Amino acid sequence: MIVLEEVRKSFGPVEALRGVSFEVGNGQITGLLGPNGAGKTTALRTVYGVIAPDAGRVHVDGIDLATNRIEAQRRLGILPHAQGLYGRLTAREHVLYFAGLHGMARATAEARADSLVELLGMQEFADRRTEGFSQGQRVKVALARALVHDPHNVVLDEPTNGLDVAATRAVRALLSRLREEGRCVLFSSHVMQEVSALCDRVVVIARGQVVAEGTPDELRRATGKASLEDAFVAAIGSEEGLG
Amino acid sequence: MITRETWRPARVVLRKELADGLRDRRTLLMALVFPLLGPLTLAVALHFASQTLQKVEREGITLPVAGREHAPNLIAFLGAEARIVPAPADPEAAVRAGDVDAVLVIPPEYGARLREGRPAPVRLVVDESRQQSAGVVAAVKALLAAWGRQAAAQRLVARGIHPSLVEPLAVETVDLATPESRAAIFLSILPYFVVMSMFMGGMAVAIDTTAGERERQSLEPLLVNPVPRSAFVVGKAAAAAAFSALALAETLAGFALLPALLPPERLGFAVRLGPGVLLRVLLVALPLLLLANALMALVAVRARSFRQAQTTISFLMLVPAIPGVLLALSPVKAHGWMLVTPFLAEQVIVSRLVRGEAVEPVAWLAAGGASLVAATLVLLLTVKLFESGRLLFDR
Repeated sequence: MIVLEEVRKSFGPVEALRGVSFEVGNGQITGLLGPNGAGKTTALRTVYGVIAPDAGRVHVDGIDLATNRIEAQRRLGILPHAQGLYGRLTAREHVLYFAGLHGMARATAEARADSLVELLGMQEFADRRTEGFSQGQRVKVALARALVHDPHNVVLDEPTNGLDVAATRAVRALLSRLREEGRCVLFSSHVMQEVSALCDRVVVIARGQVVAEGTPDELRRATGKASLEDAFVAAIGSEEGLG
Repeated sequence: MITRETWRPARVVLRKELADGLRDRRTLLMALVFPLLGPLTLAVALHFASQTLQKVEREGITLPVAGREHAPNLIAFLGAEARIVPAPADPEAAVRAGDVDAVLVIPPEYGARLREGRPAPVRLVVDESRQQSAGVVAAVKALLAAWGRQAAAQRLVARGIHPSLVEPLAVETVDLATPESRAAIFLSILPYFVVMSMFMGGMAVAIDTTAGERERQSLEPLLVNPVPRSAFVVGKAAAAAAFSALALAETLAGFALLPALLPPERLGFAVRLGPGVLLRVLLVALPLLLLANALMALVAVRARSFRQAQTTISFLMLVPAIPGVLLALSPVKAHGWMLVTPFLAEQVIVSRLVRGEAVEPVAWLAAGGASLVAATLVLLLTVKLFESGRLLFDR
């Protein structure tokens, strides 16, 4: 369960978030939808604790990020905006490094790494250094290390960006699986088909504010549009920055 | 800030950085190859220095003379110490080209002037800037002066005056330079290499702390982990310090091998750098090593790219090296304030250690304490900067 309450954040004169509030429930996939520059990444960064809001609150399972970042991050699996890897470490070593940072015992970490390698179909490249990995392979490594501690809440910033069809399908399958396990999944995207195919709920954000919220059906009904894409354009009020 | 929760994840970071660094060619090159440059440079310099010093002893003096027929007495005197050979056709060109060390030119009017009791001209053609000729030139000048004194004494005796009347001073030079202190002139470069090796050894890993992580976009994924941010600074600085220590130990081992490479009979003096002295140098240098790596972490946390951090650190490591170079050129007496100035204090102590001088415990404690305090302050400042998310995203 992730809750944002009136979150504000400015970078100098630029107001990136102007009072953003929404809730992400358990057993659901929630899509954060918005044009480029709408504040999606900034909103997610306040959730996973690398940006402190100027005002407002963020809670993960009832834990306040501002006062207990570390405890909140323990309950989060995070695929951040930046997904850089260490070229001289193998895929498996990435997973084990993050397991170590989560304080997991070596044996537990190795067993978990094995199951993630299988879950994400990384058998072929798990023990290769990540230098020269394809984008799909890199995202899988980033996902594996994000999920190593079996988090209840999962936050992903544009997880399918730059992926080919097969890798995209693998990511979507993973998200569905996480939902079936009763987890709370929040991801951002600007790809309409993805959002409509996957999401139980959609939060549309534009110019640092939530402009619409609900199930895809509710959104279509509220805007009176037949397709989610048209509903989206109607919600944000322009076609600007539409991906 | 650094708390009890910092240490466990810091160890995880340290282990990862060590494994990563050991696989990095740039890290290994700087930690393992560069440190040997210091001892090697010194070995080569000492080798050439010993050749110059011993040239006269080894080869004797060969003195080309033009117009020897004008000064048979002088030539007979010089001939007792030096091998007299005919001068080349163009003495100045030969000296300039370095074919001969010196040429003595005796003009035809020499004999007549000498008989008249007026100063008899002789010309010594030398190149004072050529180090290799310095030994021969000094010896020839001494010989000429000795002959002059002898001739003057004879003239005085002929006039019934005791020669000692015109020598009011009897100067006796007592050379207090021990073999160690003569060697120390060369070893005074050691503190400089000690400081350089610390910076070079840890540089690649230190820069990786934030500038490298940011450049390869791996900083944000790292920061979403549920650990105090200080763990990353501490763990990475510790890894950098480990590579620093490796480089330092290698530099000192290289210096320890010098005496074996250059035995005293070839050098003319002993290079005595026993394991005891080098171990003490290492002890003096350790607190400084922490400071050097804390400083590099601070630079890296503020730099936007690996290259920018590298440039800054290259300048940074010249600053503490300056006192080392100055000490090498002109050893100064240590004042109290120097002993609490990091980098300067250690270099003063190290230069005294390699001279074979005793160092008071209070000097050790003052230097080590000052460096540890400075290292802690710099590290805390780095943690503070690292914790302010502002630095993490270029905005």
